[in-house]
Amino acid sequence: MQKIHLQHMKKGVFINLILQPLKFTWVCVLLLSGTTSMYAYNYLPSNDVNKKTIIHPKIQQLTVTGQVVDENGMPLLGANVIEKGTSNGVAADLDGKFSITVSNSNAIIVISYVGYKDKEITAKENLGSIALEPDASALDEIVVVGYGSTKRKDVTGAVASVSEDDMNQGAITSPLQLISGKAAGVNITQTGSEPGGSPSVRIRGISSLIGGNDPLVVVDGIQGNMDLLSQIPPSEIASMDILKDASATAIYGSRGAAGVIIISTKKNKAGRTTLEYVGSTSIDYIPKKLDMLDANQWWTQAQLSGVPASANHGANTDWYNLLTQNGITQSHTLSFGGGTDKFNYRASISAILQDGVVINSNNQKYIGRLVATQKALDDHLTLTYNLNSGIIDNTGTVQSIGRASFTSNLITNAYLMRPTDPVFDVDGSYFNDPNVFQYLNPYAVAQTVINEAQQDNLFGSLKADLDVYKGLTLGWFGSWRKTNYTNGFFLPVESTSANAIDQNGFANISNSKQNEKLMNISLSYKKIFGDHSINALGLYEWQNQTYQGNYAQARGFVNNIATYNALQLGDLSSVRPGDISSYKNDRTLISFLGRVNYSYLDRYLLTVSFRRDGSSVFGENNKWGNFPSASVAWQIDQEPFMANQTIFNELKLRGGYGVTGNQQGLYPQNSLSLVGGSGVTYFGGEQITNFNVIQNANADLRWETKKQTNIGVDFAMFNGHLRGTIDAYTATTDNLLFDYTVPQPPYPYSTIKANVGSILNQGLEVSLAYDVIDTDDMTLTLAGNVSFLKNEVKKLSGSINGVPLNTNYVPWGPNSYLIEGQPIGTFNILHHTGKDDANAETVLDVDGNGIIDQGNQSPDRMLQGSALPTYTYAFNPTFQYKNLDVSMLWRGSGGNKIYNSLRSSLSYLENIGRSNVLESAVGLGIYTSQYGSDLWLEDGSFLRLENLTAGYTFDFKDIKYLDSVRLSVTGNNLILITDYSGIDPELNFSGGNGFGGDNGIYPRTRSFVIGLDVKLK
Amino acid sequence: MKRKELMLLGCLSILFVACTDVDENVYDKYEANEFYGTPEGSDVALAAVYAQVAGNWDGVGYAGADNGWYDMNCMSSDEQVIPHRNTGDWQLDFARLFKHEWLPSDYIINNTWNWLYRSIFNANLAVAQLENANAESSKIAEAKVLRAFFYYLLMDDFGNVPFYTENNVTVDQIPQASRTEVYNFIVSELTENVDLLSPEKGGNYYGRFNKWAGYALLAKVYLNAEVYTGTPQWQACLDACQTISEGGFSLHSGAASASSPFESQYYDLFGDVLPGDETILAMYASVNIVSRSIYGVRTLFGPHAQAVFGYSGWNGTIVPKQYFLQFDENDIRTRQFIYGEQPGGVNYSMDVTSLDDPGAAPQAGIRGLKFYPAGIMDGGGASNDFPIYRYADILLMMAECNVQLGNPSAAKPFIDQVRQRAGLNGLDNNPTLTDVYKERTFELNWEGHRRQDMIRFGTFLQPNEFRGASQDYRKLFPIPTSALDANPGLQQNPGY
Repeated sequence: MQKIHLQHMKKGVFINLILQPLKFTWVCVLLLSGTTSMYAYNYLPSNDVNKKTIIHPKIQQLTVTGQVVDENGMPLLGANVIEKGTSNGVAADLDGKFSITVSNSNAIIVISYVGYKDKEITAKENLGSIALEPDASALDEIVVVGYGSTKRKDVTGAVASVSEDDMNQGAITSPLQLISGKAAGVNITQTGSEPGGSPSVRIRGISSLIGGNDPLVVVDGIQGNMDLLSQIPPSEIASMDILKDASATAIYGSRGAAGVIIISTKKNKAGRTTLEYVGSTSIDYIPKKLDMLDANQWWTQAQLSGVPASANHGANTDWYNLLTQNGITQSHTLSFGGGTDKFNYRASISAILQDGVVINSNNQKYIGRLVATQKALDDHLTLTYNLNSGIIDNTGTVQSIGRASFTSNLITNAYLMRPTDPVFDVDGSYFNDPNVFQYLNPYAVAQTVINEAQQDNLFGSLKADLDVYKGLTLGWFGSWRKTNYTNGFFLPVESTSANAIDQNGFANISNSKQNEKLMNISLSYKKIFGDHSINALGLYEWQNQTYQGNYAQARGFVNNIATYNALQLGDLSSVRPGDISSYKNDRTLISFLGRVNYSYLDRYLLTVSFRRDGSSVFGENNKWGNFPSASVAWQIDQEPFMANQTIFNELKLRGGYGVTGNQQGLYPQNSLSLVGGSGVTYFGGEQITNFNVIQNANADLRWETKKQTNIGVDFAMFNGHLRGTIDAYTATTDNLLFDYTVPQPPYPYSTIKANVGSILNQGLEVSLAYDVIDTDDMTLTLAGNVSFLKNEVKKLSGSINGVPLNTNYVPWGPNSYLIEGQPIGTFNILHHTGKDDANAETVLDVDGNGIIDQGNQSPDRMLQGSALPTYTYAFNPTFQYKNLDVSMLWRGSGGNKIYNSLRSSLSYLENIGRSNVLESAVGLGIYTSQYGSDLWLEDGSFLRLENLTAGYTFDFKDIKYLDSVRLSVTGNNLILITDYSGIDPELNFSGGNGFGGDNGIYPRTRSFVIGLDVKLK
Repeated sequence: MKRKELMLLGCLSILFVACTDVDENVYDKYEANEFYGTPEGSDVALAAVYAQVAGNWDGVGYAGADNGWYDMNCMSSDEQVIPHRNTGDWQLDFARLFKHEWLPSDYIINNTWNWLYRSIFNANLAVAQLENANAESSKIAEAKVLRAFFYYLLMDDFGNVPFYTENNVTVDQIPQASRTEVYNFIVSELTENVDLLSPEKGGNYYGRFNKWAGYALLAKVYLNAEVYTGTPQWQACLDACQTISEGGFSLHSGAASASSPFESQYYDLFGDVLPGDETILAMYASVNIVSRSIYGVRTLFGPHAQAVFGYSGWNGTIVPKQYFLQFDENDIRTRQFIYGEQPGGVNYSMDVTSLDDPGAAPQAGIRGLKFYPAGIMDGGGASNDFPIYRYADILLMMAECNVQLGNPSAAKPFIDQVRQRAGLNGLDNNPTLTDVYKERTFELNWEGHRRQDMIRFGTFLQPNEFRGASQDYRKLFPIPTSALDANPGLQQNPGY
């Protein structure tokens, strides 16, 4: 077993035969204390073979018979059976049976078959059925690299692969959760556990500001944004390949800069019938709440702050408890498939059902899939058809609500509530206090709001591959993806929201649809000339995405019966500008690309690719861009001089350079000078529609350019027991898309979307796996990875049309900025020094001029680290004993700061008359503050036991119909080690505007999962 | 087979040529050049300039909403301020303005700058489009007068400012003109164009620069000429005011009326539709549709507004006690000030002990209801229109010019008219400059004139109940930090 990536863990069938048994005596002490694990073992290879030679000195020929079968007991026809060290050999017949006469009874028989591991057995008369184990050797594993696939050993770029067996288990609701912590440099962040919410992913850091940092998602050839991920069932994913460096992603040209996630879904194996159910149910808890004052503590403190008795309404309400519950997450997938060698199909239906830990939040997702493959024209033509249809129904909590002084999601508003406020008034209506400006009763909102979303999606593809001539294949691929969204919202007066009261209740509905079409035609050619091997691809691709939608709003409903379903029942005399709108835009991307893989002697590998992209969203002067790449690899272990060493089983050196682009952040029409509606104005004695130039035009607008160099080494040592990959890279994003500051005058808006600045990302990624124990019955593998990342905003200023721009110190979050020479999201913040006699917070007047300047470039601000983590790591031990398997995933990150806005809001004692405060606020004793100081800036490092799974597989080889049953239990988010005082330090690390702060999140749950997997024959 | 290959390649290359169209489609907007080229487009360009006058959130507009020109000019004077409350409400920007401690990075200042230059961009666009379309001369003149109006506001607040009249230029072609140069441009632009404006009042021209509004603007520029250039223009100001008088304006009645706020028709001058007898230029507002008037709802404490109007108040603006105490209790204009016990169990105290740290108690401070919520309203404001120029102001300007020109007896009737309408007696003696200033204090508070008046009368830097004397450089606002950053060629005003 050799794998470059991660770890291997066989939880399926295990072969019990082995020719030369190894004696293992082991003691394994696994002490888990934080991250520390200690183990000891004793490894004693046996010398039995030599001893046997002495015991049986007499030479005697022997005829050996047997049958070679695959892992499922199917005969392997044509398997090679050879007596080791001789040229004596036979091939297995149609039934996999063979008979061979060997020189003596001590002879070793080697059985081999393409795609299976060789097996060595000591000769005896009847060997019976010999099952070969599929060669899951990572080197021969197929890696999907975009517009094709290759063997792991031929990969020249930085590509991480996670196959089904390696994926996380438990209550998985998003495909990204499957690979969390599994690949170095692929940082998956989950903020809260809102039903229907998806984690975010960043591959090798943040290389764009507004250009988008979400990777391109490719599912069986269909390209899309992150929303495509939520449309496929996690249980139907066979493998995920992550293209990390530019030499791998350049093939995706102007969409490749942020990395590419390629997903291959499960397909049926030719000639087999399958029927399988996979399911899990989890109970979700809130592991941590903020410590707020209870009713007595609040009133004691309120009196000290001079709050009048009228603010004490005498109740004792636990608002947070009232708004939360235990959640339940279920997932069910039924799949089946079958076929012949010419045709096979797989169908599945999945349901993922979530009831959130906040009341009235839930999500239901149903997905049906069908994949069919047909061969025709004497096997020269292969047609693959793929159809996926899904429905997502969501009831969400309100994301942004609150008083003018504090806005957050609904559940966070519960923290603000005075514990002495009752839920209901004496007349049975929801309690509201007119003395508090824009009072909000969050329980009233949760019970009266309607916030529903439905998403229907359908996508399908057809792939046709025709073998035209020896090694020459003509391919056609077409896909069409349609997504419809409907969101309905209704907030009645009873909700107590000031906004709803002002409007006498309001409702709105928005419909949007997305129509994405893609077609490509390719020619590929594969040929081996002696020591030279070549694989070339030429491809033309056309894709178009159309976005369309409408929105309508009404207010002033006489009752709450129809909610958003009949907007015409609202008060039509109070229509406002913006109540009705619709839009349509589209984008077209046309690409020509070519790639050549060349290898010499299987040792020297070269990949060269080139892509030319033209996009409608680029400005008139820059419609087409070129994206070249080249990479090389040297399989050092294949060199003759390595033949006699025994340390390395594999050693490969890789290096590559590529140019990729990013155009996600460019929206249709961004480059044009356009006139749009801008509300209503009064002119000529009447109200008329107002028109305005909506943006600063820029005919030069184009893609960002990311130039990346990667050097890597893959190795396997000590009989493959230690495996690893190390990559180092440097990536510079030039032509950085951003809304650059331009002078007013002459520009009508203070920013222009342009390509000016640059960002640098440098990193080091290490993945290691070590087999501590590797016997037939037992394996223990310790795997882990760590990535270090350095980010720097190199330049934000430059010029447009020869006119210098001056952009720097751009606010990018709460007290965080984009500053040239610093990482994205650098905190530039006032320094807390204490409090004055009136208990008002004081801060350091750095320049000593007596004025605390809170401007962006104020000399009173100090640089204090960044919101971006500088390292992330994961530790992933797996253990297996016979049919029992146990795995663990610890994941952490650090080096970042978090500005805890919520803590500051809940700490000023001047607020106590209208809201609750933290217990810690009493000790802090700050009455008021005019600043957002570093008092609220906290270390964001954490380590989480994200997943602990134990499973047992019952094999039922002899039972009719039943193949196997697997039972598992998983705990998610069991331990969180952090100094961060908020409820969870895993916040928004997206790198986008506003990240790095904590203004309250939907709780991150701790869950206990029971899983069941039944395979029928 | 070779032929087949070639054929395939041939087919593909045809496809390649045919399928390389990446032109952009626009379905839901208009391309600017095409749109403004039409006659409808040029009219719309003029209307769009007026849309800039209407106030709305985010510091846009002349008045009606918050965090823009109105707050910057009013709260830096002595007539109103929003204190930070010791319950944690309200940011400190307003207190900083009142205490003359504002900073170049304050966003209200930035908002005002950006709003004015976007307005000038729109005005330049309108002038160019109307000229291209050979529109009526009155419309071209109207666009030019609007542009002069924005330059006047800019120059009044910021002094030396970048000056340009054509949009299609780069920043290096836009010099920072001196205050005098901008003044000269405004005067010449106005004198050339005001007579081309329509003399029509109301109806089509409600809320627009007709001839009379144009002269009112010119009179304002002359009135402050000494501040701007060092050379007074009292006679020119008086002449412009006299032209306005020919427009048939008169003071609106101050008679009792049960249907008017505070039972006086005087308050109709600040209502939903401003009376045409006195109003020269109004800013139209209809809440949630065009602009808004937040000043009523912003001043009152929550339960008070809830009890009277059915919507919670914001507990914001107060009137400093020193300002209030100057008023005569019999003056109709004193009724706008609210203090003591009120509906909703509210009791406003006159005194405010702290504007910023630790802040004022929730019910501290006199409230101002000059803009008594009128028309459609909700918790986000009402529909009161805003008087940019009205005849009472012109009368007081004429009084001031006459006093300045050494003719106080001619000044007296102007002041007396204004006083008598407010239920007071005329002055006993011929007015002094102080009398003119005081009358402006009573008549024109909360209407956006106060800072300018205080600077002209030399009272702007004087100490008050919340601050000591301030320094001379505070008579100009700083050029906002972001504007300096974006255009390093700009010279900051001295002192900042």
